Amino acid sequence: MSFSEEEIEEFKVEANELLDLAEKSLLEIDQGGDYRSSFDAVFRGLHNLKGGAGMMEFTDLQAHTHELETIFMSFKDKNSIPKNYIGLFLNGVDAARSILEGDDIKFNFSVEASSEPESPKLVLESPPVLGPGPVEEVKSETTYDLPESVLEEFLAECDDNIESISRKLQLIEKGEYDKATIDELYREVHSIKGSAYLFSFIKLGDIAHAMESSLESVRNGTHLPSPELLNCLFKSLQTIEALLAKKRKKESDEKFDSLVGVISKALSLTSSRLQLVPTLHHEVPNTNDETTELDKTTELSMPLIPSPTPVTNPSKEKESEGASSIRVSVSLLDSLMTLMGEMVLVRNQVLQYSNKTEDLEFSSMSKRLNVVTSEIQGEMMKTRMQPIGNVLEKFNRVVRDLSHDLKKNIDLVIHGADTELDKSLLEAIKDPLTHIVRNSCDHGIELPQVRTQSGKPERGTITIKSYHEGGQVIIDITDDGKGLHKDQLVKKALEKGIITSTQVGQLSEKEIYDLIFAPGFSTAAQVTNVSGRGVGMDVVRTNIEKMGGNVELSGSAGVGTSIKIKIPLTLAIVPALIVRCGDGTFAIPQVKIEELVRVEQTSESKIEILHGIPVYRLRGNVLPLVDLNKILSMQSQQDRQYAAVAMNIVILSAENFSFGVIVDEIQDTVDIVVKPLNRLLKSLLAYSGATILGDGSISLILDVLGISKIAQLGFDKAKHLKEDNQSQQSTDIQEFLLVRVGNSSRHAMAMSYVLRLEEFRPDSVELSGHQRVIRYRDDILPLISLNEALGYQPVDSNRSSIPVIVVERAGKFYGLEVDEIIDIYSTSLEMKDATRPSPGIFGNLNDPQGLIVVVDPFQVIQNAFFPQSVESFSSGKSLATESMDEEVAGRILLVEDTVFFRKAITNVLEKRGYQVAYATNGKEAIDLVKREAGIFDLIVSDIEMPLMNGFELARALRKLPNYKTVPMMAVSSKADTAFRKEGMAAGFDMYLEKLKPDVLLAAIAELLRSKKDAA
Amino acid sequence: MSAVNSKVKINTEQLTTFYVGSELFGIEVMKVQEVTGQQSVVPVPLAPDFIRGLVNLRGQIATAIGLNELFLQKPRTPENGEMSVVCRLEGNLVSLIVDTIGEVVEVERSEFEKTPDTVSFSLRRFMKGIYKLNGSMLSVLDIEAICRELTTINESTSTSTPTTRI
Repeated sequence: MSFSEEEIEEFKVEANELLDLAEKSLLEIDQGGDYRSSFDAVFRGLHNLKGGAGMMEFTDLQAHTHELETIFMSFKDKNSIPKNYIGLFLNGVDAARSILEGDDIKFNFSVEASSEPESPKLVLESPPVLGPGPVEEVKSETTYDLPESVLEEFLAECDDNIESISRKLQLIEKGEYDKATIDELYREVHSIKGSAYLFSFIKLGDIAHAMESSLESVRNGTHLPSPELLNCLFKSLQTIEALLAKKRKKESDEKFDSLVGVISKALSLTSSRLQLVPTLHHEVPNTNDETTELDKTTELSMPLIPSPTPVTNPSKEKESEGASSIRVSVSLLDSLMTLMGEMVLVRNQVLQYSNKTEDLEFSSMSKRLNVVTSEIQGEMMKTRMQPIGNVLEKFNRVVRDLSHDLKKNIDLVIHGADTELDKSLLEAIKDPLTHIVRNSCDHGIELPQVRTQSGKPERGTITIKSYHEGGQVIIDITDDGKGLHKDQLVKKALEKGIITSTQVGQLSEKEIYDLIFAPGFSTAAQVTNVSGRGVGMDVVRTNIEKMGGNVELSGSAGVGTSIKIKIPLTLAIVPALIVRCGDGTFAIPQVKIEELVRVEQTSESKIEILHGIPVYRLRGNVLPLVDLNKILSMQSQQDRQYAAVAMNIVILSAENFSFGVIVDEIQDTVDIVVKPLNRLLKSLLAYSGATILGDGSISLILDVLGISKIAQLGFDKAKHLKEDNQSQQSTDIQEFLLVRVGNSSRHAMAMSYVLRLEEFRPDSVELSGHQRVIRYRDDILPLISLNEALGYQPVDSNRSSIPVIVVERAGKFYGLEVDEIIDIYSTSLEMKDATRPSPGIFGNLNDPQGLIVVVDPFQVIQNAFFPQSVESFSSGKSLATESMDEEVAGRILLVEDTVFFRKAITNVLEKRGYQVAYATNGKEAIDLVKREAGIFDLIVSDIEMPLMNGFELARALRKLPNYKTVPMMAVSSKADTAFRKEGMAAGFDMYLEKLKPDVLLAAIAELLRSKKDAA
Repeated sequence: MSAVNSKVKINTEQLTTFYVGSELFGIEVMKVQEVTGQQSVVPVPLAPDFIRGLVNLRGQIATAIGLNELFLQKPRTPENGEMSVVCRLEGNLVSLIVDTIGEVVEVERSEFEKTPDTVSFSLRRFMKGIYKLNGSMLSVLDIEAICRELTTINESTSTSTPTTRI
């Protein structure tokens, strides 16, 4: 039997919830919470998962959870679970998650269970439901003399009964039941029994009979239903369902023989253990040994199902909430939200219209529409809301694991777990919060002995508080750790070059704390695997600001640190300020606005002109001003006299600075529904979206950060961020240096080649033989004109300066002359091969604004200075390049961190018929090699790579038995003798510099050939 | 030109036709959501010329593309009653602004041919091919290519920092 993707997805969601539940409860046990109820919750989670896995034919998962469950059961009658077992179970839960995701995990259940208390009801196997078993032909003890229609009727009736029974059982579990409920339940079970025997479905009848008897005492009102009994009853129901399913398919139910027996036994046993109604509680006669034991251990802690007075037990209620909720796909909610947004707009239009008419009936109708729409809007928003606890509770585990790893004692306290916020935001806030919590554990809370020395309690506490305030959700993360020392922060920032010593004196307290969010900053003295790499906090800030929130840090040395995160409730509807500029109206998100200023041009408040640009003194600080008209290139007022007339300024905050935007008119504040723009318009940077205003007109939403970028504000900081992002996110973005040469196309070369950019005066160029050179530092820099090298028209030499790109190759410097250095260009475009292979050209970039020709500087140098050596290398093997195709098409592992080269080399190799796998650094390569079943025929590796460089990789690979003789080739832009030597020592068979594809191919062919010969 | 057939035959195709300048273009009928008259367009400052702006299409925002500007790279012709062909594609709602609307024609697939190479690239890249009709040629618009034009501009390209020197 196979399941649809949807069903499997559904199961996975369900399974993850069950695992979450189990994990949460395990942690509760660990923290000394109510043992019995937590135990049951864990058990229920594992057990249900096992059942589900069996049904969905996840056999590995089923086996895994079964094992876990068995071990877990050995603690049934204990009062606690030892730490090492908790760890085992937690790991087991993790492993179950991985298995669920399709990983092949071998889990070691090595902590042996100490004792196996007998507990018949719990050895119940989940019934072998539906599909899994081999399908057998109709064969059972029942005789199908009945007409089909009668049978169907019976089955349908059973279904109804089962559903109703299960509903009642749930009610009882929640404690919301009375005598009538139990009576009805009893009756329904009875009727199943009756008709089952009537149709000679013996097994079905037996189970129903057992259920009926077990309910006897409860029905008589002498005993209370216990959770165990309910579990058993649920189980029985499940078995009945399975039996019915078999009947329906006319399959044999022989396999259920033993199960039915077990269930009946379990039911009678649990019912015999039922507690009497509370009044009689203390006189419970210990009828048999087992009950005695049970009572001894659980009398105090066992939660009773509340007696038939409707008592509300909040935690119970929450867990069983699933019964009254349904699952709806997020995309459906999203489209409902969109429609909702449109409805709000129509409402606004209707309202505006109704204000204009005299029609009373219409206006009263429109008022009603208004109220109803607002209400729907409110309710609609709630559907997407989820309690933040869903995320926060995950941190219990994080903190527990970390405190264990770090040998610290840390408690996590969560307040306001029921604070709700939009699901998409909830997802987005998860990573930043994890970062902060990990940071608090790692560098906030001190080691226990340090804490006792400084007079603090040995256990550290991290408190997460979340609450609503002013239409925003606030999350406070406070720890009582060592806090932040301002001096240390400043010192660190100086060391890392984030601030200069002249800035130190001017920093405010807030600015000092803000330093922690600067890229590349970390206060941990040591880099641990938990945190301390200095990539955390700036990412936290970026992510939070991306969702329109902000983050603040405060604290004092020795007492603790507190981080306050503010995020909006939802992203779908945002309050915004509408401004007019020229003919257009624009919306500015309210969260980005610091204040509005109207400058009346009086003597104390006026716009001043500094070097031709307007500035404004706001409470003594000079605020840069940006004219929206100019930024958006609107023609209306070209040369505005800023100092003459009254001006409206909107002061905006972007990243970590403020600036003012001059607009023509400030109109109104409205709630807008953000509509996404297509990518082209988004790429203009100026807009983050568009919206439809109440009158039906469209208004663009300004992207404050983008505007500041267009205006080139805060550029230095932006650059920092950018560099940092590049180092840590493995994006496919490649940087090129754009240059102009004597050809209409734009030319570029990969930034990784570029050492420095220089400008020389023409008269500093000297001649050494025919070679033009420049004395450069202590060296002589030979110049190559890129124009000449590429065969373009040489430019006239009457220029005031010569822009030169300095490139280092094999330890020597070379200068490439260009006409102009234009810009740095980052792109994720893939490089296309040159249409016609020409020397010195890598290929082309298909930029929408026109072709960009990518230059290969090494080849240019090669051709200019060593024209014959390329030939000499490949001439001997020139045949190799032609004839290799069919015989040695092999699998090549390419290890290269630069996207550009990776793509270029892969391209070349694949074209030649090689299979290419790639890794972005040595570590990845090793992992890949270990994971891969087959052996690669050749390894081509870069030298300079993050995490593990080429030399290390080579040494590591040579240690692997499979890779002792596999040919390895280093391809690097660092290719002087020292490097070559080290490379050969490390185990490389060949060391090439990043160069012509032909050479590379020839070399590869040669290596593969020699390997083949050797074999 | 043949009349609209209610039955769609396998070897024929129905195209909505329109004129840009003097040229006849067509789009597969199923890809067209609606044809409307002149709409009020909100211009988007900084956007390329061919983007006329944004249009409110009953609560949905569509991007209005002037085909005159896109194909012929010449500024918009003086208003002589333009029409809009609205297409929805992969979440993009585009409103193609054309000069006049033709009728819906049914063409034989066998009459299809690829665009002659001599047609300039700026035009050819938005064309799937041509149909030979009686007395005229019909260029089939590649609406996907136009939508791609709306997405290809790489977001990272534009974030490239203004002139850095090392």
